[in-house]
Amino acid sequence: MIRTTRRNFLKLGMASGALLAAGEVIGCGQESLTGTVSLEPGGKDFSPKTGAERTAIPTACWNCVTRCAAIGFVEDGRLVKMESNPDSIRTEGKMCAKGQAGPNHVYDPDRVLYPMKRVGPRGGGQWQRLSWDAALTEIVDHIKPLRDAGTPEKFMFHYGRMKASSSKLVKSSFLHTFGTETIGNHTSICEGGKWVAQELTWGKHYDSWDFDNTGFVLNFGSNVFEAHTNHIPTSPRLIRAMTDRGVRLITFDVKLSNTAAKSSEWIPIKPGTDGAVMLAMCNHIISNNLHDRDFLDYVKATGDPDASTEEKEDSLRNHLDRFTPEWAEGISGISADKIKAVAEDFATTKPACLITYRGAVAHYCGAENERSAMMLASLTGNIDNPGGRCKAVGASWEYPKSPDPPEKKGLKILNGFPGQVAFPNHHVSNQILKMIKDGSAGRPEVYMWYCHTPVFANGEVQENIDVLKDESMLPYSICINPFYDESAALADLILPDATYLERWDSEDMVSPTQVAEYYIRQPLVEPLCGIKSFADVCFDLADRMGMPLFESEGINSMEDFVRYACENTTGVPGFDYMKQNGVWHDPEAEPKYYSYKKDMGTDEDLIAGSYTLDPGGTGVWWKQPKEDARYGDDKHDYKTYKAQKLADGTNVSGFKPDKINKSGFMELYSELLAGKDYSALPSYYPIPEHQNMSAGQLVLTTYKVAVQTHSRNANCKWLSELFHENPGWIHPDTAASLGIGDGDTVSVTSSVGSFKTKARVTKGIIPGAIAVSHHLGHWQYGRYASGNPSPDPQPAECRPEAEQHWWNTYGVRPNWAIPNSPDPISGQQRWMDTVVTVTKI
Amino acid sequence: MRGELVEEADKNSKAENSLGLINIYSFLATIYNEEITAPVLRQIRNPRFLEALSSVGVQLDDDMFKGSEDRLVEDLAVEYARLFLGPGKHIPPYESVHHERTDGDWGSLWGADTVAVKKFIESTGLEYRSEYDGLPDHIGVELEFMKEVTRREAQAWEEKDEDGADCCLKIKKKFIEEHLARWIPVFCDKVIAAANLSFYREIAAITKSFIEFERKETDRYLSRV
Repeated sequence: MIRTTRRNFLKLGMASGALLAAGEVIGCGQESLTGTVSLEPGGKDFSPKTGAERTAIPTACWNCVTRCAAIGFVEDGRLVKMESNPDSIRTEGKMCAKGQAGPNHVYDPDRVLYPMKRVGPRGGGQWQRLSWDAALTEIVDHIKPLRDAGTPEKFMFHYGRMKASSSKLVKSSFLHTFGTETIGNHTSICEGGKWVAQELTWGKHYDSWDFDNTGFVLNFGSNVFEAHTNHIPTSPRLIRAMTDRGVRLITFDVKLSNTAAKSSEWIPIKPGTDGAVMLAMCNHIISNNLHDRDFLDYVKATGDPDASTEEKEDSLRNHLDRFTPEWAEGISGISADKIKAVAEDFATTKPACLITYRGAVAHYCGAENERSAMMLASLTGNIDNPGGRCKAVGASWEYPKSPDPPEKKGLKILNGFPGQVAFPNHHVSNQILKMIKDGSAGRPEVYMWYCHTPVFANGEVQENIDVLKDESMLPYSICINPFYDESAALADLILPDATYLERWDSEDMVSPTQVAEYYIRQPLVEPLCGIKSFADVCFDLADRMGMPLFESEGINSMEDFVRYACENTTGVPGFDYMKQNGVWHDPEAEPKYYSYKKDMGTDEDLIAGSYTLDPGGTGVWWKQPKEDARYGDDKHDYKTYKAQKLADGTNVSGFKPDKINKSGFMELYSELLAGKDYSALPSYYPIPEHQNMSAGQLVLTTYKVAVQTHSRNANCKWLSELFHENPGWIHPDTAASLGIGDGDTVSVTSSVGSFKTKARVTKGIIPGAIAVSHHLGHWQYGRYASGNPSPDPQPAECRPEAEQHWWNTYGVRPNWAIPNSPDPISGQQRWMDTVVTVTKI
Repeated sequence: MRGELVEEADKNSKAENSLGLINIYSFLATIYNEEITAPVLRQIRNPRFLEALSSVGVQLDDDMFKGSEDRLVEDLAVEYARLFLGPGKHIPPYESVHHERTDGDWGSLWGADTVAVKKFIESTGLEYRSEYDGLPDHIGVELEFMKEVTRREAQAWEEKDEDGADCCLKIKKKFIEEHLARWIPVFCDKVIAAANLSFYREIAAITKSFIEFERKETDRYLSRV
C-alpha cells in the first residue's frame, strides 16, 4: 500500500537525490530535454488554427507489390495521411485502402523499436535490448568469419518483397560483394509458375493488360478488382472500360470473387481445370479458322523453326484435336456450348485481352495452364498489341556497380530437391526449409530473413516452426522486420527495419500505358527511435567488414544510391526534381507495342555487330562464345541473344529469352519442355490428388481480398477493422451432404495439418470445394492482427482501446493444412490443390 | 493565502521542498528511460534508499535481493523489455497509446497527444536534445519535463519570485490535467498487473500515487492563491 503523505515523499525525494548524485558519477540517467524553462510570455505558437502546416511529400507506397506513386502529408512531424500522386500515369491519382492505411505501419503501437536479442531458449519469448552498435557488431561477428574462411555461402539471406533499388543495393551490391549466392526469395509462393510459363514462351516475364484499348476481357483465375500485382493501375482502368465503353469481362473462377461479381458473366469452374478449357477454346478457334494467321509468323509451333504457316497450323490442329470442348466439359464442369461461345466471342472481338493469375496457375503443372493462355492469346493475335496482353514496360534505372568478391558460392538449397522441379527459374522457396531440414545439400550457419515470414507465408506451418526453432539446423538466425511476427518470434536477433514510409528507393513497377514511369520513395518522417533502414544497415555492415560497396566516392547511404540513380538515368531530370515531384515519364515517349517486330537488319548487319547465326538451326543470332558452339550449349547463352531469323529470312527482335535458352519465337512448341519429358505443345495434366477423391472430401482453394495482402497487412488497424474474419465458403449442396449449416464451426483437415473456421454456406462457390482466404490467423504481429496487445491479465477498466478495437476475431490461417508442394514444372506453390476433409464440430 | 505545502516550505526552505520533488521525478524518469545498470541497482539496494522507499510503502520482494547481481541486472533488463519494449506483447510507454481521446485519435504511436505533448513542452522554451531519438511522449520525457518545471519553480522560490513560482505551478497543473492524469494511472495499472518482478510493480504503484499526490498538491496551492 502506497502511503502518499508529503513527509514520506519528501524523504524519498532526498534519498532519490543521493541516488541520482551517485548516478551522475556512474553515468546513468540519460536525459531527453535540454535548455531551461523560460517564463516569458508568448513563446512559440503552436495553435493548430494559425500555425499548423501540412507538408506534402511525394513518395511511393509499398503496402502491396504494386508500389503506387503516392503523397504523404506530414503535420507537426506526424504523418497524418496518404494519398495518391495525381501526376502518376500508372495510377491516375487513385489509391486503394491498403495504401491509405500506410500510417498504421509507422505508428503501430506494437512496432519493434530497438534491436532485441533472444534471452533463454529460442522461441521462449524473452528478449533483451541491444544498442545498434552492439547488434551490428554481433552480426559482423557471425558473418565475417564465414567470408574470411572462404565459405560465404553459409550466410543465407532470404527475402520476400525486395524490389528495384532495394534489390539492387542488397542483392547486387551487399550480398554480391560479400560473396554469398545462398539468396532465397519468395516468388514460388507468389506467382513463379506464371513467370516460368512466360519465360518458356515469350521470354522475360510479366504480362501487362491494356484495358484502355481493349474490346473484350477474358479472365481465368485473376481477382483483378481486388488483388492483382498491378492492382490500382489496372483495376480502375478495367472498370472504366466496362462502364464507358461497354467492354465485357467474362470470368472463370471457382469462387464468386468481387471480380467475378462485377463481371459481365461469372462462369464457375472446377479447381485446376482452367487449362483444359483454354485448350478447348484453342481447339474450337483453330478448327473454325478463327485464328490470326499472320501472328503465326512469330510462333514456333513445330520442331522446325522454318516451318510454313500451313505446317504450323497442321501441328497445332493435330495437337489440339483431342482437347475438344466436349472433353473439357467433362473435366471442368462447363458446358461445351458455353466454351465454344466464349471462344468465338474472344476470337472475333478485336482486340481482346486474356488475363490469368493464381486461380489458373497455382496448381500441379499450373505452368501449363499459363502456357495454354499464351497459346490462346497467340492464336487470336492478342499479343503485345494495343488492347491485348502486352510485354511489360517499366522504369530502367542506372545504378552504380559494386566490386566483385574474392569468392562467390551458394548452397544448393534454393531450387528444391534434385529432379523435383524442371525449371526453377525463380527458385523453389516453398522447399527451402525442407531442404534445410534434410541437410544433404548443406545448411546455412547464419540465416537472415528480410521482409519475409517463412513460418507464416508458406504452407505446412508446423514444420516451418519446427525447423526455425531447431538450433541444430539453423545455428544462428536474424530477422529484419519492423514488426514482431510469427517468424521474428523464433529469431536469435531482431533488427527493426524502417517502414517503407521512412526510407529511400527508386521504383520501377509496370506501367499500363506502355510508357515507363520513373518514381521514387523518400522518407516522410524520420524512422522512429533512431531505427536504421536495412539498406543503410548494409552500408554499415560492409564498412565494419572492410568491404566497401562502391569504389566511387559519395555513395555511403541509400539516399546517395537513389541520388545516383536519379542523376545518372537517361532522361530522368535529376534528384531534386524527383524529390519535388516524385514521378517522371517521358512526355514524348510512344507506347511500346509489338516489341517483337523490330527489324534488326540484314545478316551482314548482324555479322558486322559480331553476332552469329546459330549453326544449330534455331534461327537465333547471338554472341557465339567459341567456334562451332551452338546456341544453348551454355546455360547463359540467352544473355547474348540479339535477334531471331524468321522463316521468310527477315531478322526481327523477336521474343527475347530470359533465364533459359529459348529462341526468339513465341515458343508454343518448347523443346526445352520436351527435353524434360513434358509435352512440347501446351497440354493438360490432371491434378493427381483430385483423381481419386473419396466421398466427403473437398478441394481447399484460397483467395485474397482487396484490403489485405498475403501475410503483412493484418497489423494495420484500419485494414483489419475492415477484414478480420475469413470463414470457409461452401456450396449449399456440399454443406447439406456434410451436415453443415451456415455459421457452424468446422474442422478442415488435410494430410499435413488442420484448422478450424466457421462455415459460410453460399452459392458463391462451386460444389466440392471450400474457399478460405489468406491474410489472417496471426498469433503474433500485434494487437490488431492477433489480439495480443500487452501482457495479460489486464484489468477490464484498463483496456480503453477496446472502444476503438471493437473486433475480437482474427481469422484463420489455411496454410496449416496446405502442403509445401511445388508444381513440378515451375516450382510454384500449389495453393489451390489441397484435398481436405471438412467436418462439423 | 498560502497552502500547507508552502507553509511547510517556509519553515524549511521552499526550494528544498521542490528539490525533493525534482529528485523523485528524476529518479522515476531514469527508471523508465532505460534498463537498470549494476551501479544503479547497487544504489537502489542501498539500505538508506530502501528505507526511503519503504517509508512510502514500497514493498520489494525477495526477488530483488537474491541471486547474483549480474543475474538480477539481466532479469531486470528482460523484464524491462517484456513490459516496455517488446517485441510482442508489451505496454508501450507512450501517452498516445493510452490517452483516450473523444475524437478517437489515439491507440497508436505518434498520435495526436504526441504532438500535443511536444508542443506543450516546447512552448515552455525547452527543446528536445538533437541526439534524443525517442518519441516525444515517452513516460520518461513527461516526467523529466515535470522535473524541469519544478526546478524552475524552485529557482523562483529562491529568488523570492512568487509570481514565477505560481506560473510554474500553473504549468504543472495544466500538464497534469491535460496529460499525466489522463494516462499514467491507466498505464501504471497495466504495469502493476503484468509485472513479474516486484521492482517494476512497485515503481508503477509509486508513479501512479506520486502523480495523484502532485495533482492534489498543485490544486491545493493554486486554490489558495
